[in-house]
Amino acid sequence: METGRISAYKVEVCSTDQLKPSQRKLIEINGVEIAVMNVEGKLYAYRNACPHQGAPMVYGTVTGTMLPCKRGEYTYGHDQEIIRCPLHSWEFHLTTGKSLFDPCKVSIKKYEVTVEDDTVVIYFHKRPEKVSEKEVRYFV
Amino acid sequence: MNDHATDRNQLIDCDVHNFLGDLDELVPYLDLSWQKMMNIGKFKKDSVLNIGSFQFPHVRYSHASNPLRTDAITPSGDYPGTDPQFLVKDLFERYNTTYGILNVGHGSMSAYHNIDLTIAYSTACNEWMYDKWIKADPRYRMTMVCAPLDPKATISEMQRVAHRPEIVGLNLQNVNIPMGSRHFWDIYEAAEHYGLPIVLHPDTEGSGEYSPSQFIGPASTYMEWHTTLALVAQRQIASLVCEGVFEKFPKLKVIFIEYGFSWLPSVMWRMDKNWKALRESVPWLKKLPSEYIRSHIRLGTQPIEEPFKPADLISLIQMVKAEEMLLFCSDYPHWDGEFDERAFVHFPQELKRKIFYDNALESYRF
Ligand code: FES
Repeated sequence: METGRISAYKVEVCSTDQLKPSQRKLIEINGVEIAVMNVEGKLYAYRNACPHQGAPMVYGTVTGTMLPCKRGEYTYGHDQEIIRCPLHSWEFHLTTGKSLFDPCKVSIKKYEVTVEDDTVVIYFHKRPEKVSEKEVRYFV
Repeated sequence: MNDHATDRNQLIDCDVHNFLGDLDELVPYLDLSWQKMMNIGKFKKDSVLNIGSFQFPHVRYSHASNPLRTDAITPSGDYPGTDPQFLVKDLFERYNTTYGILNVGHGSMSAYHNIDLTIAYSTACNEWMYDKWIKADPRYRMTMVCAPLDPKATISEMQRVAHRPEIVGLNLQNVNIPMGSRHFWDIYEAAEHYGLPIVLHPDTEGSGEYSPSQFIGPASTYMEWHTTLALVAQRQIASLVCEGVFEKFPKLKVIFIEYGFSWLPSVMWRMDKNWKALRESVPWLKKLPSEYIRSHIRLGTQPIEEPFKPADLISLIQMVKAEEMLLFCSDYPHWDGEFDERAFVHFPQELKRKIFYDNALESYRF
């Protein structure tokens, strides 16, 4: 299981055909819930608990948002690159996990996720003692 | 949730929202004439020209993302808050809730332009809530809706249903008449008689034609609107106290849900200061305004303010002795409630017990 990556352990999530675009999975490794999602063919994995009050990010909406701009302008951008918490709507960049309102201090923890031999795998920082898949009721 | 759970074993959640899955759920409770007026039931227009159907007055400010929690969509894919069994599982079982008080969430009719329709709807809605929700689980309690623009009709509706033990308050809703006004006095007398507190919750602000004003003019965005809702509560408290409502109705309680509470010190201190100089204009007030406020006004905890230093909230509560005034609200399934008890993590155990249970027990009709 141990790989060349620094303290990263490979965990198999599912085969690629079980995580098609718009689909999501929820994996629990050593008690840590990780949301894995396919957004238009790109894979993302991050801690399920929102850093604010812990709401389940697997039910967050993937969207774009208004970019900072001059008074009176609205410029939409980052389409399909932002996930919003399902509860209080905090916004995070899917690629970095950083929040939009305070990217240096507030972020969701990201995990490396990739495809190896038609299998979606994530890399976890500790030896995975207990791995299970949890139900995702619907995809937002 | 459990990481942050206190050792409490009782919780009253004072703000839970249920929604109609479909307008036709009201059909059994409305006679044919009202169904016709609303174009529901057999009068439903299923064509593309469905422009004559009834619509709830809705808040015209749109939330940037979703005003309802996207993690609360029901197992059948319906609107959050439409399935009584799922709500029990998703909220009550997670929070270990003793009682959850339903404030109906699908739209308020109090400020609607046709008051006759509001009266018919209120009766239908109270029946629907009772049949579909109260009977579904013993943990459900409800506030009854009414037509505050017609005090006589409101009192008749109370005579009809207020004896039901599961009804714990009167959901009055704001209209463009200040709450201290004598327009409401007969309602207050009846509420006192039935032991029901008056409950206010944002909904009508900026929706119905009899909406309360936003003082200096309309807000431009949802953010501006939502932030300034707290002003409505402050204005109403000043009206209730100055008009002497609590001298006239010494047992009445008025509960403001979802207006926050950290503005309370400023309201109390300013009113006390003014009373010392201006009491002559309100000679019926016999004591400091802050004392009336403390005895008669209750405030929901949500949307809880988040100070730079979280523990400062406790100092603020102590400053104005508001320990008995605050009521826990999850606001499920709205976007601006608390997911768990993390927001109260710094609160002393004794204060948590009051906020989570004792204060609600004292303030509502339990
Ligand atoms: S719990 Fe996610 S923004 Fe509050």
